[in-house]
Amino acid sequence: MPLARSLSVTSLTGLEDWDDELDLENSVLFEVAWEVANKVGGIYTVIQTKAKITSDEWGDNYFLIGPYFEHNVRTQVELIEAPNAAIKRTLDSMNSKGCKLYFGRWLIEGSPFVILIDIAATAWNLDHWKTEFWDSCTIGIPWYDREANDAVLFGFLTAWFLGEYAAQCEDEKPYIVAHFHEWLAGVGLCLCRIRKLPVATIFTTHATLLGRYLCAGSVDFYNNLQSFNVDKEAGDRQIYHRYCMERAAVQCTHVFTTVSQITAVEAEHLLKRKPDVVTPNGLNVKKFSAMHEFQNLHAQSKARIQEFIRGHFYGHLDFNLDKTLFFFIAGRYEFSNKGADIFLEALARLNYLLRVNQSDLTVVAFFIMPARTNNFNVETLKGQAVRKQLWDTANTVKEKFGKKLYESLLVGNLPDMNKMLDKEDFTMMKRAIFATQRHSFPPVCTHNMLDDSTDSILTTIRRIGLFNSSADRIKVIFHPEFLSSTSPLLPVDYEEFVRGCHLGVFPSYYEPWGYTPAECTVMGIPSISTNLSGFGCFMEEHIADPSSYGIYILDRRYRGLDDSCTQLTSFLYSFCQQSRRQRIIQRNRTERLSDLLDWKYLGRYYMYARHMALAKAFPDNFMYEPTEPTAAQGFRYPRPASVPPSPSLSRHSSPHHSETEEDDERYDEEEEAEKDRQNIKPPAMAVGTVPEWRKRSKKGSIDASTSSNASTPTNPSSPTDLSSPASSITEERN
Amino acid sequence: MKDQAFVTLATNDSYVKGALVLGSSLRHYNTTRQLVALITPQVSDSMKKVLFKIYDDVKEVDVLDSGDSAHLALMQRPELGITLTKLHCWTLTQYSKCVFMDADTMVLSNIDELFQREELSAAPDPGWPDCFNSGVFVYRPSIDTYKRLLQFATEKGSFDGGDQGLLNSFFSSWATTDINKHLPFVYNLSSVSTYSYLPAFKVFGANAKVVHFLGRIKPWHFSFDPKTKSVSGMHDPAVVQPEFLKLWWETFSTRILPLLTEHGVVKDTSSGLKAEEIAEAVSQLSIEAPTISSEERKERWEQGQIDYMGEDSFENIKRRLDSFLK
Repeated sequence: MPLARSLSVTSLTGLEDWDDELDLENSVLFEVAWEVANKVGGIYTVIQTKAKITSDEWGDNYFLIGPYFEHNVRTQVELIEAPNAAIKRTLDSMNSKGCKLYFGRWLIEGSPFVILIDIAATAWNLDHWKTEFWDSCTIGIPWYDREANDAVLFGFLTAWFLGEYAAQCEDEKPYIVAHFHEWLAGVGLCLCRIRKLPVATIFTTHATLLGRYLCAGSVDFYNNLQSFNVDKEAGDRQIYHRYCMERAAVQCTHVFTTVSQITAVEAEHLLKRKPDVVTPNGLNVKKFSAMHEFQNLHAQSKARIQEFIRGHFYGHLDFNLDKTLFFFIAGRYEFSNKGADIFLEALARLNYLLRVNQSDLTVVAFFIMPARTNNFNVETLKGQAVRKQLWDTANTVKEKFGKKLYESLLVGNLPDMNKMLDKEDFTMMKRAIFATQRHSFPPVCTHNMLDDSTDSILTTIRRIGLFNSSADRIKVIFHPEFLSSTSPLLPVDYEEFVRGCHLGVFPSYYEPWGYTPAECTVMGIPSISTNLSGFGCFMEEHIADPSSYGIYILDRRYRGLDDSCTQLTSFLYSFCQQSRRQRIIQRNRTERLSDLLDWKYLGRYYMYARHMALAKAFPDNFMYEPTEPTAAQGFRYPRPASVPPSPSLSRHSSPHHSETEEDDERYDEEEEAEKDRQNIKPPAMAVGTVPEWRKRSKKGSIDASTSSNASTPTNPSSPTDLSSPASSITEERN
Repeated sequence: MKDQAFVTLATNDSYVKGALVLGSSLRHYNTTRQLVALITPQVSDSMKKVLFKIYDDVKEVDVLDSGDSAHLALMQRPELGITLTKLHCWTLTQYSKCVFMDADTMVLSNIDELFQREELSAAPDPGWPDCFNSGVFVYRPSIDTYKRLLQFATEKGSFDGGDQGLLNSFFSSWATTDINKHLPFVYNLSSVSTYSYLPAFKVFGANAKVVHFLGRIKPWHFSFDPKTKSVSGMHDPAVVQPEFLKLWWETFSTRILPLLTEHGVVKDTSSGLKAEEIAEAVSQLSIEAPTISSEERKERWEQGQIDYMGEDSFENIKRRLDSFLK
């Protein structure tokens, strides 16, 4: 009988109290997911990035369980003998009964052990297992749903494995924790409970099945959350059996977690259980040894995007590239779920605002959303070719010019400028210039779309008339393919591209977590997200004044679409108002938030969940004091000491504010960074001070919104109305 | 004869109906032995109470209860499931000898003479007569045999995935050693045999002592009109023993149904349960209500025709899960 351990967790803030570690010597952790060493979607990223800290914590007692696919194993798993005797006996025993299980190391950071199950090898058991599943929980699986049938096989095999392992551990029985991700792994969890295996179970949903379907079907989701008849909605959408598998797992698990507050609300209403812990997703943050290296990378990548722009807009380069901002939206092509609709609308309004204010600023908005195409279109490729030709011409002339200069200097004469370029050179240059003439506008879409006439982004662009004409201050480029460094068009990979942009725009309506803005943040690129995305909620909770840190959070939860669009326009406009220096300061602040998104910090929520599961499954041996999971606040960034760079706020403090000199006095990078570092360590009084910060941040945002609301009394949909707050901003700036 | 017993097993409320008819038929033919029913936790409390009206002892078996050695076996052999529950009959060591009978059997005469046979006596299986059918068998309760059976199950498994395969492997000498352990077929007359050898059935069928409703459709899946005394769907070609089926239903409606309704009334006044729950209990037991069998429901799920607004609602699934999570 192991010693009873007690542990008090007052709140995650008070992690000092909780630091005495679990007795991991005698505990084993299995993490079960369909996306272990098998990339399908976002769960892969979560598990793969988290592996490092979890292996650091659990060492050789950490095993990932996933499905076996040969092509995955060949590329990312090294098969080895299981070093753990009980695991080896378990594998041998199951393999001798006709199963095919493989053991290896997953070749990712942390190189964790993986157990991969070939579900096809035991597919002949399917009917038998489906009957057993039916008999135990009266959930049947339609024969035509391949994925659900796979889930049954995978579930029965994982439960068999866990049971066999529990039986194979001879003398010292370890405490087994099994963490299941998503409905595809859920059957295994249900079986663990039905068979009463001695296993502490955790279930994490990264989104709910029904939520995804409802949102995709353009339902007013968040306003009706409480009133959905969930059985009916799932049944009508023919996902009832999947929904039942998901909900059964939620019902059975000891500890239920989701990735964000917003998904927690969703789960509470659609799965009828409030999550015990919110376990946000993290990233492995790369730390550069040189300070501000990310700023240099931004400059480098920006230069490459600028090159692309030079080619794409040949013949129409009537704007200053040094005064051009790059915005982008990226992700799966879900027009309204990802907020492409509202982004386009806001761009149209921003275009109007910049034009009426005769701004010299240009914005290029990139849409990186893969759609069905048949490759690049000729016009875009030609653009890059033309640019190349100009570059070659300039180089040839330069060569000749240089040679003449040299010869002239050799004989001791100052060159005669009139003879430097001869007629031939001029002809060549004139010809090159003529080649850049263009009668059409630069193309919006870089590819030939298969559904050009019905594509939702293109039809919206046609409706709002953003055709890249020279009068437009907003240029739009739709790149319907993932980026690649081998592309002839824009040869950068996604990371380089993000680094070269100024602002990521992700105004999603449905986004359980949202890795895209998180990735922007760790690269020091400001972003716009929403209070309906997990990321936005998380940031709102941890930062008093997110927008000064380059985290703009759009309110899409408590406002109508049109109001949200107005707010987005004002975010974009205020971003455009910033000086170069303000943007640099803002990027520094954004980058400092990296620590908040690092697994080193966010991994604690998982630890907490595991502990809670052990305590619930083995109450005689583990204890914990239940806490309010929502009170989990590790650290909190206050409003920066110096003036926030967002003009909407700065105008309150300094009406005649000129960016250059005054900022030098106010902004001290080192001092500010030091303060933020202090905040990373949770101060004991943090709990007391939190409400005050929150109040202040609320006030700030209310100020900003009321000023724009007040000026849009009658018809907020028309962009004309927006000109009034905008002009007031310009006045103050002048 | 207090130390000998007929033992049956009911794993859900439907099978309890079968067990009640079996018990009542044994009583009808004046058995002198004890009647014991093994039940699993899925059986509802109200049904359990009704069982006590007919059986001398009702014992709940939960293989999944930790601490039980069967639980360990099950973890390694999850596919055996209900089989391991059935093996529990060997633990009834307060009896020196028992006759196990499936809940889908019914006796047609006194069969107490079976207790003169030795372990393990059983009738041949109509599908493979070198194997015995495990629907009716004579055995001696013994913890030692029980443990050996469990160990055998863990190591070798069952060739048909059920108890019959396991028991036939364990008592593998049955087919060849002792003819006294071969029970006459009339002690376990199964439905398939009537049409596979109809002339024989016509001659010997009248001597039948135990009828076994093999197959997927059980007597309680039909519905019965007590006024006309007719079973609906009885003339379906799949129904091979209409007279036995009718007999089953007559027993059910005359002897079991009064018990059930009486029980429902008692529950109504004394414990003051919600009307809704009673209505539900009654509808489950009511023989007029058109109910579809569990197998049919499963099939409908598999075809994507799910009654998600009715019987298949998650509330019902949840109730089911909660019975495991207690």
